[in-house]
Amino acid sequence: MKNKDSTPLKLALYGMDDRAYKTMCLYLKGPCKGVAVVVDESEAEIDLLDADHIKARELLDQLQAKMPNRPLIILSLEEILIDGTIYVKKPVETADIMAALKQAKISLSTDIPKKVKVIAKPETEQKIEASPIQKSTKQPVIEEVPVAKNIDKEEKKKVSKHRTAMDLTEGSFSAYIGNVDGVNFSDHEQALKASYNPKGYFLGYVQSAIKVCKAKSRILQLNSGWQPLIVFPHSQEIWLDVEDKQLRAFAGVAISKNSAKSMSLIPIDQSKFDAKGKMEGFFDNEYFLWKLAIWTSKGRFPDTIDINKPVYLMQWPNFSRLVVTPHAMRIAALLIRGPRTAMGIANALNIKPQYVFVFISAANVLGILGQARRQVDELIAPPEVQATKAKGLLSRILGRLRG
Amino acid sequence: MSQYKIIFTGPVGAGKTTAIDSISDVPPVKTDAAASDMTKNRKAATTVAMDYGIMNLDDGEKIHLYGTPGQERFDFMWDILTVGGIGLVLLLDNTRADPFKDMQFFLDSFGKFISETSVAIGITQMDLSTKPSINEYHKYLQGSDLKPAIFSVDARVKNDVSLLVQALLFSLDPGLEDE
Repeated sequence: MKNKDSTPLKLALYGMDDRAYKTMCLYLKGPCKGVAVVVDESEAEIDLLDADHIKARELLDQLQAKMPNRPLIILSLEEILIDGTIYVKKPVETADIMAALKQAKISLSTDIPKKVKVIAKPETEQKIEASPIQKSTKQPVIEEVPVAKNIDKEEKKKVSKHRTAMDLTEGSFSAYIGNVDGVNFSDHEQALKASYNPKGYFLGYVQSAIKVCKAKSRILQLNSGWQPLIVFPHSQEIWLDVEDKQLRAFAGVAISKNSAKSMSLIPIDQSKFDAKGKMEGFFDNEYFLWKLAIWTSKGRFPDTIDINKPVYLMQWPNFSRLVVTPHAMRIAALLIRGPRTAMGIANALNIKPQYVFVFISAANVLGILGQARRQVDELIAPPEVQATKAKGLLSRILGRLRG
Repeated sequence: MSQYKIIFTGPVGAGKTTAIDSISDVPPVKTDAAASDMTKNRKAATTVAMDYGIMNLDDGEKIHLYGTPGQERFDFMWDILTVGGIGLVLLLDNTRADPFKDMQFFLDSFGKFISETSVAIGITQMDLSTKPSINEYHKYLQGSDLKPAIFSVDARVKNDVSLLVQALLFSLDPGLEDE
């Protein structure tokens, strides 16, 4: 006779892309010793939801409405306490998931109908607010709802978020960023006057929207009289449904006082947000701001930086997920060693100042570049760049990597 | 002839073998074996000796790419491997229980080598676990002497691995230009 205890529990997964789905299947099979197997939603005894997924709120509502008595395990980085669910903190530890499955199994055998009301303890309210499963004081939707997908294939379509960096050469740089009329960057005096005010461009409004969104922990929509831009606080994403060339053109146009009047920032309900199947419109905040800063700068520097004084870099930018402008890695490697002026960097690396200015613009927007305030940084000249003994070899490796 | 090498290190399952595979000109020599100890919870096969790949330069010079065994019981090999090394690529798996502890362990273990050369850090599996973030890794290192490049990396993507190695080279000499 087959031992009932050894029969694997049947589990349905929600809010996971293909890779996470497969990983969880293997994880249950291996470290969890096959205590549960992943099955289709219709055959499942237990549901498991990744609550950090952008559509987690929607998925949760659907599950609670459709299968109110089925045990539900919720995985999340932040603690989420919802009545009638079992919480497991991510990254998932084997012991925790085993315990959760055991609890779900007990709940199955006792067959107690569960409430689906959401109850958040006061002290954890803030954390719940910050999660995609935001506060839900509404009663669950009882009407017929569409079947929840086991794998959220939409997440995979956010290619803009996950793709590797674009590496720009000097040749492709001008074509990518466009030119500023009337500035000759080869002229030292003209270059030093080539500044712009970020607040007078779309960039400034997006930066401001992100700040407000973060402070209020709410999804906000920035209306500009152009295309609406949505800012998400928890996932730190931006959604904007336009092509790069349109954004580049808009980024480079100074916002007039009249246009500024049409700018507004309004809160929106996540359940009402519809990406219209355009998941490629999702961008990581840092990637979007970096790119927008490049297109706003067009080789100029932000007037919030005194270009005659040294600047310093707090950390390397995450270049593998950003647009890599010409010489950006060299500038970062030099600047991380200590403060330098923009012109000092251009001279040390023997490059045109606009490559330095565009880097300063982008790094400044991410908050990883600052103006050196210490007197010593202006008093003492930074050391010259010493070539390593193996410079020839390293350059050949570099050439090989860049193909 | 000189032996020029770049060392790839990191815990079990961080993607060292895959990263070497991404930029090697020859199929890498893999020494994976079925895991039979604590590592089996991370991956079915693990590197018990070391991985090896080659990058061929235009002038016929070869750059040897060595992956250290991830298991600590093979750490006696690490000192031998780093002799004559150009620099260190440290890969960390973001889904592990304590990636900061992993980072500290490897930075300490290779401390002497890093002080003589440089290090670039790649964080893998960030699509499975977004925390810790890249900024949190930088924050963790605040107060230390190190300010390494830390990139989000998919070890299967050649461009990601290439950018990480480029950052390592520029850390050694920002004045470098392509040849």
